[in-house]
Amino acid sequence: MSNIIAKLNKAFDSRIRLGIMSVLMVNDFADFNTLKELMELTDGNLASHIKALENLGYIETIKQFISRKPNTRYKITELGRNSFQEHLDALSDLLH
Amino acid sequence: MVKLSQRLIVIQNETIPLHFKALLIDTTMENPGDDLKAIREMMEKSSKFLSLSGLSGIMAGVTAIAGAAFAYHYLLTSVDADKAQKITVLLIDAILVLISSLAFAIYFSWEKAKKNKLNFYNKVLIKTLYNLSIPLAAGGILCTAMLFRGQTDFIAATTLIFYGLALVNASKYTFEEIHYLGITEIILGLCAAIFISNGLIIWTIGFGFCHVIYGFIMYKKYDKI
Repeated sequence: MSNIIAKLNKAFDSRIRLGIMSVLMVNDFADFNTLKELMELTDGNLASHIKALENLGYIETIKQFISRKPNTRYKITELGRNSFQEHLDALSDLLH
Repeated sequence: MVKLSQRLIVIQNETIPLHFKALLIDTTMENPGDDLKAIREMMEKSSKFLSLSGLSGIMAGVTAIAGAAFAYHYLLTSVDADKAQKITVLLIDAILVLISSLAFAIYFSWEKAKKNKLNFYNKVLIKTLYNLSIPLAAGGILCTAMLFRGQTDFIAATTLIFYGLALVNASKYTFEEIHYLGITEIILGLCAAIFISNGLIIWTIGFGFCHVIYGFIMYKKYDKI
């Protein structure tokens, strides 16, 4: 039991972070507005969670210009993918 | 979830009897099942076009049957018309069927998106349409080239096969039923190529009845929430 709980990742406590990671698990990348629309969030709220995940090294930012407009896209890192998968496994273990 | 993790940290290094595990899940967990459900939903919502309505399929089928009925009737009554004239009339008939099914598809999916408070226009829609249009455009151009050469034998087969390939290709971005509808259309297309004299009937089964059946299944499964 304690093993399973230890495997639950504290970084993914919030629904918003779960949401961001879920989107990036199944999409190669997502931009800020897509994430915002999908989760129906405000700019500030989303930005702070993105920052937190980025600081943990779970996601990375790709800044680029699309027809001269700045565009920020996010991508999951290898570490992020593995950590989220472990979290998912721990969640489903808890159910059984 | 904050509350939960604080408690979990406290008990992290203790051994807990099994019956407490159930208690813990029942009372303190804000349910791992809910989390998993939210994750699954977000994965689907962000990667699949979920606004596709079963009603679109039903209406596409109905217009295809109507179009085929007209074509059948026209071919029976216009025995004295020359081949070029027949091809023109049938081509217009086919284009009208295509435009009205597309209009119905857009309308019903738009309505469904509105009802479920989803964005109809998003990146997934673009991806779906892109993947749909590659085989569809190739097939469309091939059919037009065949018509210009007066080759009408394989029109039913070609439209069915390329449409089926388009559905299979686009199905990874939407409901899994579309994949099986695509396979069905491909098989029917191959049948139409083998039994050429039954082309129109097989075309009607593929574009008409299959659409109605799959549309109905999808309507039952995904639209009535």
